[in-house]
Amino acid sequence: MDLEHLALYPFVSEASAEVESLNLSLERLLSSPAYRTARARGVERVSQALEGEIEKPSIVGDTQALSELLSYPFARMLVIAVDDQLFTKRYALAEAKAAHTLLKTESMEFLLEFGEEFGLSAEPQDFHFKLHFTDYIRFSSPLKEAAWKLTNRQLQAGRVWVKKEEFARLLLEAIRERVEKSLSGEGTPSSSDLPAEVLEFCAPYAVELKEKFEVRKKQFGITDFGDVEPELFPPCISHALASVRAGINLAHSMRFAMTSFLLTIGMSTDDVLALFNVSPDFDAEKTLYQIEHIAGSSGTPYKPPACETMRTYGNCIGKNGLCERINHPLSYYQKKLYFKNKDKEEREAAKNEVGEKGETEKEALGKKNMGKKGEAGRVEGTEGTE
Amino acid sequence: MNDRTIRFIKSRFQDYYKTAPIALPDHLPHREWAFILYDDMPEKFMRRHKAFGSAGEALDYLAAMAPAHVYSSTAYYEYPSARKMIDKNWLGAELIFDLDADHLPGAPNSYADMLEHVRKETLKLLDFLLDDFGFSEDELELVFSGGRGYHFHVRSPKVLGLDSSERREIVNYISGRDLDFRYFFKDVAMDGDFGSGSKSYMGQKNVPVKCTLVGYESGWGKRIARYLTDYMRGETEKRYKKDMFPELRQNEDIGESKVKKIIKIAQNEGALEDILQQGRLDFDVRNFKEIAEYFMQESKDNFTTRFGASVDEPVTGDIKRLIRVPGSLHGGSGMQVKKLELSELEGFRPLEDAVVFGEVPVKLTVSKPFSVQLKGKDLRVEEGIQEVPEYAAVYLMCRGVAEYGQ
Repeated sequence: MDLEHLALYPFVSEASAEVESLNLSLERLLSSPAYRTARARGVERVSQALEGEIEKPSIVGDTQALSELLSYPFARMLVIAVDDQLFTKRYALAEAKAAHTLLKTESMEFLLEFGEEFGLSAEPQDFHFKLHFTDYIRFSSPLKEAAWKLTNRQLQAGRVWVKKEEFARLLLEAIRERVEKSLSGEGTPSSSDLPAEVLEFCAPYAVELKEKFEVRKKQFGITDFGDVEPELFPPCISHALASVRAGINLAHSMRFAMTSFLLTIGMSTDDVLALFNVSPDFDAEKTLYQIEHIAGSSGTPYKPPACETMRTYGNCIGKNGLCERINHPLSYYQKKLYFKNKDKEEREAAKNEVGEKGETEKEALGKKNMGKKGEAGRVEGTEGTE
Repeated sequence: MNDRTIRFIKSRFQDYYKTAPIALPDHLPHREWAFILYDDMPEKFMRRHKAFGSAGEALDYLAAMAPAHVYSSTAYYEYPSARKMIDKNWLGAELIFDLDADHLPGAPNSYADMLEHVRKETLKLLDFLLDDFGFSEDELELVFSGGRGYHFHVRSPKVLGLDSSERREIVNYISGRDLDFRYFFKDVAMDGDFGSGSKSYMGQKNVPVKCTLVGYESGWGKRIARYLTDYMRGETEKRYKKDMFPELRQNEDIGESKVKKIIKIAQNEGALEDILQQGRLDFDVRNFKEIAEYFMQESKDNFTTRFGASVDEPVTGDIKRLIRVPGSLHGGSGMQVKKLELSELEGFRPLEDAVVFGEVPVKLTVSKPFSVQLKGKDLRVEEGIQEVPEYAAVYLMCRGVAEYGQ
């Protein structure tokens, strides 16, 4: 790739090699006037990601290319300094979306080379790409539309056909995953690992970004569920809760689903324990042990199962309108929270009768971002035989 | 099971394990093992987090303990004996399919019928694994579970790193559950021999298009072509024209004249061949494509039951599953968990081929009447003291319908 392309796709390994080969000292990067543009663009990148979309410049000349390329490591430092998992997810998605917009205009050859970078090897065949199905599902499984289901694809001897624009869409997922993992995966630095001078540089921006993000979270109920609001629970969980209260015994898998759901949205182990106190076979010690296990006493806190898993085990009591639009019970709760907060805000806005235009625009933005997939958790099945 | 029975079964199992043809999993030191031991009975409790560094260690353990049930992990771990799952450090896992009579629709009458039913389902799955997913035969291991079904282990390097949701996507494919026929019945730009005039295509006007069954060459597309043409052929074999295609006549939009034309097409072997070989859907009847799609939509359940394979979804989705070790014994039946060559599946008879014990007569006390076909013989025992060959005695005791001695 030439320098211009490295600047536009700064997360490819060749780009980080390029940055390394420049051999710049941290001190120069952070203070030399030569990199002022890169620093400013780094900050801009992150705020654009927070507001909605990262805009890619049209690059003229090596100097600009270099600034654009170097802005990426700056942006990453900032994201690490903000130190918020949701923020990281949002940033990774914004980077991936911006790259995707460009990728759609690239040639087949470029996309092929680009795919290799992400372990997505494909063979071109008259305007199509042929991929191994495991590579296909690796990046298509987060996509929920029926068209992406492997079943609705032409599959022959392990190969799937995709169109050029579909290949670019899969690359979006690959980029999102890479950027996110490089910021919050195993072995990546956390904010406390950053050198003092970096922290010092990042601190003022990080504070500001954090504040903005907090405002957003409050406004749109992005998550960090806050107080538990049972009236916003999805039908499956409400039904299970009602059963427990009525003294009806739950299936093991449903008990697990309900417990992990309640713990994830912020209920304490004791509160959950109290709930089960009416179960016919209540055994406080055993129940506490199980709840603590789900809460992560053994090392992994368990995420509640997704809708698909709920259906598999026969724990989905039937979808309502909102269920149709989500694939995880947590997303249901999140969406409800969002609607509730929005309503409240609108009512307050009406009360104040000031109704500034700027607010509605922001809301529209927030709404758009809420459509995104939450952290659809996976259950780590550890038991099981036969 | 009383103590005497436990001692008897354990001694039989111990004998078996001295020379048992255990098929140890690959990368043995990276597997977790788990056992249910007769020594712990009547408590049924699983000893987990075991690991063996070498084949000798594993075989010695089996011979010494003669466990009732033997499992190893489908996953490879860096530290398989770590007590917390997270500390094991998951490195990958085989892709597993479990076909179990418990999960199949319909309730066959006898144990033998049930096993036969599962065997047919297994053959369908094999078709998916070889043709659709393109695995080679040497990447597949087929195992009779010793109970009510079969396991497939897939060890292609491509699948080892798949996560749960990706594995569930594979199960969904095999079941056909998410099939949406819109993606198969399509208008595509003309580049072939059949056309239905000019329409707008991708914003361009007057591009010739043809209606096509997309993907008729392979996978679900091929199965759709099969189902559709089988149906059409079948209808024309009826005696009276008025009885043909009742499913289509139910639709108000499909008039008598259309049905007549469809009968004509269905009677033309060449036309049916065109559907199978070229995905042709352009015929001398208006909206044939829509009619065919409508029919498939209406028959979806039937279609996916006939062609889809019903595998146990949670098993495939679980990347840290424990599964029975081939060559060990199933403590619930006394039968062998048996590794099979793919070519053996067609002729495999579990109730003969997975029975390992001998003919020595054994006295036992039967608690309720029971009948089963073993080694090709109908065996029926009544309540009370009975004497039966050892292989039958082990089976009855393991199934819990008899105790050892009198």
